[in-house]
Amino acid sequence: MSTIALSGASSARAPFWRRLSSQEMLLAVAIVGLALVVGLVNPRFLSANNLADILLGNAYIAVAAIGMSMVIITGNIDISVGALIGVLATVSGSLAVAGAPIAVTWLAPLVFGMLVMGLQGAIVAYVGIPAIVVTLGMLSILRGGLISVTGGKWITDLPDAFHLADIEIFGFIPMPVAIMVVATILAAVWMRWWPLGRAIYATGGNPEAARLSGVSPRRTLVLVFVLHGFFAGVAALLFATQLRVIQSTTPSGLEFTIITASVVGGVSILGGVGTVVGSTLAAILIAEITSALVFINISPFWTHALQGALILATVIADIERRRRRLAGAIR
Amino acid sequence: MSATQDAPTPLIEVRAIEKTFPGVRALSAVSFDVRAGEAHALIGENGAGKSTLIKIMSGVFGPDSGSILVEGRETRLATPDDARRAGIATIYQELLLFPELSVAENIFLGHAPRARGGWIDWRTMRAKAQELLASLDIDDLAADETVGALSVGNRQRVEILRALSHDARVVIMDEPTAALTEADVTRLFDIVRRLKARGVAIIYISHRLDETFAIADRVTVLRDGAYVGTRLTRETNSGELVQMMVGRRIDNMFPKTEAPIGEPVLETRDLVRRPLTKSISVTVRAGEIVGLAGLVGSGRSELAQTLFGVWPAESGEIRLMGEAVTIRSPADARARGIAYVPEDRGSQGLVRPMSVLHNLSLAALTSLSHSGFIDRGAELRLAEQAVGRFGVKTRSLDELAGRLSGGNQQKIVLGKWLANQPKLLILDEPTRGIDVGAKAEIHRFMGELARAGVAILMISSELPEVLGMSDRVLVMREGRVVAEFDRAAATSQAVGAAMMGDLGATEQAA
Amino acid sequence: MTAVASSNRASRARIFLRHETILAAMLVVALFGLGLFNDRFLTIDNLLNQGRLMTEIGLIALPMTFVIVTGGIDVSVGAIVGLCAIVLGYSWKNLGFPLPLAIVFTLVVGAAAGLANGLVITRIKVPPIITTIATLTLFRGLAEGISQAHSVRGYPDWFYFLGQGDVFGVPTQLLVLFLAIIVFGVALDRTTFGRTLYAIGSNETAARFSALPVERVKLAAYTLSGLMASLSALVLVSRVTTTRSDMGMGYELDAIAAVVLGGTSIFGGSGTIWGTVIGAVMIQLLKNGLALTGVKGDATIMVIGVVLIASVLIASSLQRRRV
Repeated sequence: MSTIALSGASSARAPFWRRLSSQEMLLAVAIVGLALVVGLVNPRFLSANNLADILLGNAYIAVAAIGMSMVIITGNIDISVGALIGVLATVSGSLAVAGAPIAVTWLAPLVFGMLVMGLQGAIVAYVGIPAIVVTLGMLSILRGGLISVTGGKWITDLPDAFHLADIEIFGFIPMPVAIMVVATILAAVWMRWWPLGRAIYATGGNPEAARLSGVSPRRTLVLVFVLHGFFAGVAALLFATQLRVIQSTTPSGLEFTIITASVVGGVSILGGVGTVVGSTLAAILIAEITSALVFINISPFWTHALQGALILATVIADIERRRRRLAGAIR
Repeated sequence: MSATQDAPTPLIEVRAIEKTFPGVRALSAVSFDVRAGEAHALIGENGAGKSTLIKIMSGVFGPDSGSILVEGRETRLATPDDARRAGIATIYQELLLFPELSVAENIFLGHAPRARGGWIDWRTMRAKAQELLASLDIDDLAADETVGALSVGNRQRVEILRALSHDARVVIMDEPTAALTEADVTRLFDIVRRLKARGVAIIYISHRLDETFAIADRVTVLRDGAYVGTRLTRETNSGELVQMMVGRRIDNMFPKTEAPIGEPVLETRDLVRRPLTKSISVTVRAGEIVGLAGLVGSGRSELAQTLFGVWPAESGEIRLMGEAVTIRSPADARARGIAYVPEDRGSQGLVRPMSVLHNLSLAALTSLSHSGFIDRGAELRLAEQAVGRFGVKTRSLDELAGRLSGGNQQKIVLGKWLANQPKLLILDEPTRGIDVGAKAEIHRFMGELARAGVAILMISSELPEVLGMSDRVLVMREGRVVAEFDRAAATSQAVGAAMMGDLGATEQAA
Repeated sequence: MTAVASSNRASRARIFLRHETILAAMLVVALFGLGLFNDRFLTIDNLLNQGRLMTEIGLIALPMTFVIVTGGIDVSVGAIVGLCAIVLGYSWKNLGFPLPLAIVFTLVVGAAAGLANGLVITRIKVPPIITTIATLTLFRGLAEGISQAHSVRGYPDWFYFLGQGDVFGVPTQLLVLFLAIIVFGVALDRTTFGRTLYAIGSNETAARFSALPVERVKLAAYTLSGLMASLSALVLVSRVTTTRSDMGMGYELDAIAAVVLGGTSIFGGSGTIWGTVIGAVMIQLLKNGLALTGVKGDATIMVIGVVLIASVLIASSLQRRRV
């Protein structure tokens, strides 16, 4: 018995690292490698200012990619998140300008995000309509609604206390980075060590088997969308508070940047696989690439093309890898 | 039955179970029991009702009438969860595992050991998984491995461990050896013996007789949803069991009429398509019905689909009407005069949400169209002809094909292919799951077609059908043709023995 | 037998009619409702002008019907419109192609983009949603990269005939759309190609086992989708006289909404071109009517989103009741 316990303990950390070592290590190496190469071409790329800008300006994408990863692991997709972040940022900012207590302005996007995503999750899970259709419809509702309510005007004159992103923990860790790191770790731990977290993988990997094992795929799906809404709310807060104004639009194709982060981070679009550590690293890598383009004198207008190529290549590689493994298992 | 006297209370017992599905009586008056430490084999042909019975015992669906007793107490098993609580675990053919999760997680999914606060206690979970592995002396499997990377045999072991982690006292195994290698089968038997020694009751579904004799203490035979009998394995033999499985229906049901047998239509030489078509050489002549017997997984459908171009051959030769041909796709096969009525009507043969009319014309669209445009008049005539010829009972040609009975659906699939006037007709389980009347009609059509000079290759898991309809019988096992019988020599004992891998019979035939 | 069959054919035709009658009736009600609100709405001029505006979506919605009937989806069409608009402008202005050649080149690029989608979907077996989400980003990115945010203007006058001219009072592009509707409608309803599309969407395996050319037909559907998107881009550039990389943004939404609103099942296997046409008309009139009653353009996007979700919800609840 004692030997069994020992062997159990010795291998306790192994699989986690082994799993991390694949996609996550690759991403980490890529992040460092790219920084060094670009740094050689243009040393200014490695300045503390630029590196901080990359992290600060894109932390919200990494946070949103956490929820997106969960959604994709269940075998679904959400393309409304970019528009939702815009709406939530505006809601939060409008409340702040209207003089609501800061706590309310910070909580409102979280609650509203969970409601909107929960609704979508319920339609997908209980009515059985493909997530692509539901979220496509929601995308236009949110985008149209936002522009017609704000009339395209930016929100200015935000109270100083509203700017969550300005806070520095211990006087030197900027809030967006802290939130990105803490959210990633919490989500990763939850998905690994909490039964409900594991249910996400089970639902995505084999819904029928999940049902027979006592996991409700439908409830799990709604929960995942609600969580996704929560992270979208957090992302919206970071987005809203990083500048002195809140624009009425989010960067074009934001939802695809977030999906790219998830998929490049190792989340399989066929469901069942991936970690949020990977998606956060991938979000950082994508931000780094975008920034690097500028420093090596390539027009930033190529960013999206690069992103598209990256996501296509990752998806094709993922499918090929699975096919090869399947063939191996049969043989 | 002497076997049931002075026996202890069975762990699980079913009494007078009845189950009817729309149009099909799946089980009638079936009684069956299994005791602690016993392996009880449940055998019968396809469609005999084995799967229905185990699904009732594992709570997937309830019986229409009859009772289930667990340790002598009447118990309702309304859900898989009820069955699990009653100590019954089922290992299905399609293993219900999560490929991306680890072995330990798969074993404990749904009842993972918890630490304080509801966290998954990975350490305890791994330790317990190791313990389970050790208890069955499984040393080539680690608790941390990802299930997706495991062999089929090891995946099955994970399923068995999952059953044990629930403290199952009855383990139902549904054709557990269907996909296993020889070595894995040996290990499975070893595990079954260990479980028996621990007092676990095993219900073992199979249609391989050799396995039944190797592992089971008792054996129960089902036929056409009815209980035929239970025997102690040491007091019976394969001849008696085959007789029980097959019954005595051979003579009166199959109206194979004599047809003049002509020139070879299909000849193959050393046809290979891995993994399940290994060097096949067969000949089918005009007017001849060749029956292809074999167990599920012996490679019969794969051979048919290789001939039909679904999985094109990797090497070897196919000759049609004496001419060497290459078949790369079903369209090639069709152009060469080959028709294939597939095994699974619902998913391969029929487009269920399409109308009878459109289903009937689907395989003949090329000949019904002029430069891509469908000649609707010709289409309608073709469908009306087919409906009349085969006596398809449908309210109209616009009825959705999926709404018809199984027999009528099968007539449509048959009709759809005959529209092309094939020279070679491959029928894969042509009468599976259809009622007796429709079955007889389909057999009559086969006879007519043979007389009209069509060469017919018929795959069937029903021995009486094979024996009754065929001019010649080929037996496949593990991707090869292992025996050939002409009509006179094809007896149920001889063909059955060749199917099960009884060497004596094979040598006799060769 | 024949008599029974034909009478039942008639009764089913009636059911079918009923589905489209409902849509048509809704259309009429919407027309008059909007007409009551605003007297500028029900005028020939306005309606023809709306036809002009609806062509770009309509051209995309036709092949989208094919794609959705096979059980697939193509969300990259809007991006292909953008890419093709840029390719037209760039090849004419920067590469110095004569405009007719640039037009042909644009059509080729559009078809190639669709073909690329089809190849990834049929050969590598990446699900259509994922494939086209990825290529959406890629195509839009290529448009941005090639254009470097420069717009192209000053096309020769003859080019504007397509987007601004008319033939006997009917807008040119509306005639193009009419022609396309007939071609696509006949192809879906009367040809082996169309029948194969339905068979694939209902049961791909059975279609394959029926010796139908499944991969080739799917490939053709996605290629057509790209080709029609490039045609749509030509019409669009000709109408607005300029080329920008963000052109066609969100067109996929309107096209999918038109198809689904027109009664095509999002799960494949059923649907008609005529339904799609009514769906597209309804969406355009909805936009126009709302605009005329003072609702701003962006709010109409919102309404289309609601319409899309509502029509799928209603369709799925109707289907459930029928089963």
